[in-house]
Amino acid sequence: MFKPLDPLLHSELRLAIMSILLSVEEADFVYLREQTKSTSGNLSVQIDKLREAGYIEVERGFAGKRTRTVCKITAHGISAFEKYVETLKGYLNLNKPEK
Amino acid sequence: MEEKQLNEKESLELITQMIRNTQQRIEKGNGIPFLIWGYTTVLVSLLVWYLLSTTGNPNWNYLWFLIPVIGFPAMMWAIRKQEKGVKTYIDKVIGYVWIVVGIAGLVVSASAIFLWSLPILFIVILMMGSGTAITGLIIKFRPIIFSGFAGILLSFLCLIVKGYESILLFALIFLVMMVIPGHILNWKGRSHV
Repeated sequence: MFKPLDPLLHSELRLAIMSILLSVEEADFVYLREQTKSTSGNLSVQIDKLREAGYIEVERGFAGKRTRTVCKITAHGISAFEKYVETLKGYLNLNKPEK
Repeated sequence: MEEKQLNEKESLELITQMIRNTQQRIEKGNGIPFLIWGYTTVLVSLLVWYLLSTTGNPNWNYLWFLIPVIGFPAMMWAIRKQEKGVKTYIDKVIGYVWIVVGIAGLVVSASAIFLWSLPILFIVILMMGSGTAITGLIIKFRPIIFSGFAGILLSFLCLIVKGYESILLFALIFLVMMVIPGHILNWKGRSHV
């Protein structure tokens, strides 16, 4: 029987955010909004959900006079992402057969 | 992009696409740090050489500190101006390399001015050449790798050439090691966008 997919990651925008953060050290809110082509409101809500789950860290600071929100994936987030991809592979029959 | 549910295939495609987009966007080269430190060092060297060779007053050696005094604020300005919204592992590693090389360079330069007589021009080029070569290897950019190793080899000339001419040689090596490859990296980076 297939394991259920992590509902927190199995949503388009949250998965996109996690995929970006997995491949970089950190990314700010504007960069994530541009890359995911999402609205500020929706992105904000999804970032909060990921932060509450401990998948990402969010730091609010200043860049000159403007506020800047920087997001970074956590070790817990990386492990959840790996589990999610492993489960996906199971669904798609991509796991190598055991010898 | 909405909060929609994906099927399994769409999920994998999305992950691949997001990672690929991010890689493409951040592969843009950035030669600005090389240009800032390269030009600052060349100009300060020429100034020190001119004042020392015309007056013979060793106090002009304190002007070497103009390099960090100009270089650090210029770097802060450039970092703020070029904020790309994303920091990669490569950015972080290169940052660490230059923090270590920079601190070591500053300590050894201060020691040479205040404490001991050291072949400082040779040491500084050897250190900065090593930092440049390591950076080139990390970003896999040949002109920076070559210029770094060229700097390491050319640094020994500063042990051979004596007197004020060694300062001119120092400036020339920085031109070859940082300024020229910095321009090449900038030009290549722009042509990729």
